[in-house]
Amino acid sequence: MFDVALTDAGAKVVLATASDEKHPPEHMIDGSEETFWSSTGLFPQEFVISFSGLMNINAVNLKTYQIHKMSIERSVQAEPIDFEILEEKEFTVTDMALQVEDFTFDEATAATHLRFVVKSGYDHFISVHQVSVDGTAARQ
Amino acid sequence: MPKTLRAKVITVGDSAVGKSAITQVFHSDGAHFPKSYSMTVGVELCVKSVNIPDTNDCVELYIYDSAGKELYSDYVHKFWEHPSVVMVVFDVTNETSFKSCQKWLERVKNKTNQELPGVLVGNKIDLVGRRVISPKIAREFAMKNSLEYCECSAKEMENVEAAFYFVANAFYRLYEEKVEVMNTLV
Repeated sequence: MFDVALTDAGAKVVLATASDEKHPPEHMIDGSEETFWSSTGLFPQEFVISFSGLMNINAVNLKTYQIHKMSIERSVQAEPIDFEILEEKEFTVTDMALQVEDFTFDEATAATHLRFVVKSGYDHFISVHQVSVDGTAARQ
Repeated sequence: MPKTLRAKVITVGDSAVGKSAITQVFHSDGAHFPKSYSMTVGVELCVKSVNIPDTNDCVELYIYDSAGKELYSDYVHKFWEHPSVVMVVFDVTNETSFKSCQKWLERVKNKTNQELPGVLVGNKIDLVGRRVISPKIAREFAMKNSLEYCECSAKEMENVEAAFYFVANAFYRLYEEKVEVMNTLV
């Protein structure tokens, strides 16, 4: 198993609805929990991570702060279109600590792109410190 | 690249205190004061960007100018989810509108569990002889409710921006504080 969402693994954040140059979206997939992407006001917020190719995904692990409700959608197309919802989840609130949340899938789920939609937060602003996706390249 | 924050401003207060006039004067940079009264039905959305002094950053204000008539209150509340800041407006010549401020403030506060920066705005200060609410009374109410107090005349286009600049800067400071916390989590 391998974190296919890392920049080093060829993944990219192709869309994010907020960007503070000090806390850019790339920080979510740089392998460090210290760096983060922060939203800059209003909900919903979303970001899309594109993999280097089609992946079979077993689990998604997120380290975040102040997220309330989030859904994950996938696309199997070459372009990030035709998303379908995989799961929606309510996160547990934390005090001065990262939220650690897992989305696990019973069967490996194919995806070339994952869209994360933050529907609401426990505060005006949320941060995403790390997105790890446990998967393997799918044979095409 | 400078950063852009986005804030949802809920503008409330009794009908005919001048919420829409203030919003429109601010939105048009003083080019437009609605001379004849037109009652707001539901909510009107105005977007305007405010630069933050001493930075290259700005805050985009999404101003939800809400109807003051009770008739629309159920409908209007639907637009108030996730408020960022609140602006409560009254007419300095109308005591009832001042007394209603508490009610309006509570209604918006009920929409969130989060810190909600806000400003109390006394409008129509051009009507000097008819004023019944003194700055002192208004300021006391504002302080008690952790609001900033501003007075303006939308008609004379006097000091209308102050309230908007205040909420934009307050929201900006809030962001800076929260990012500080995010920086210390790991």
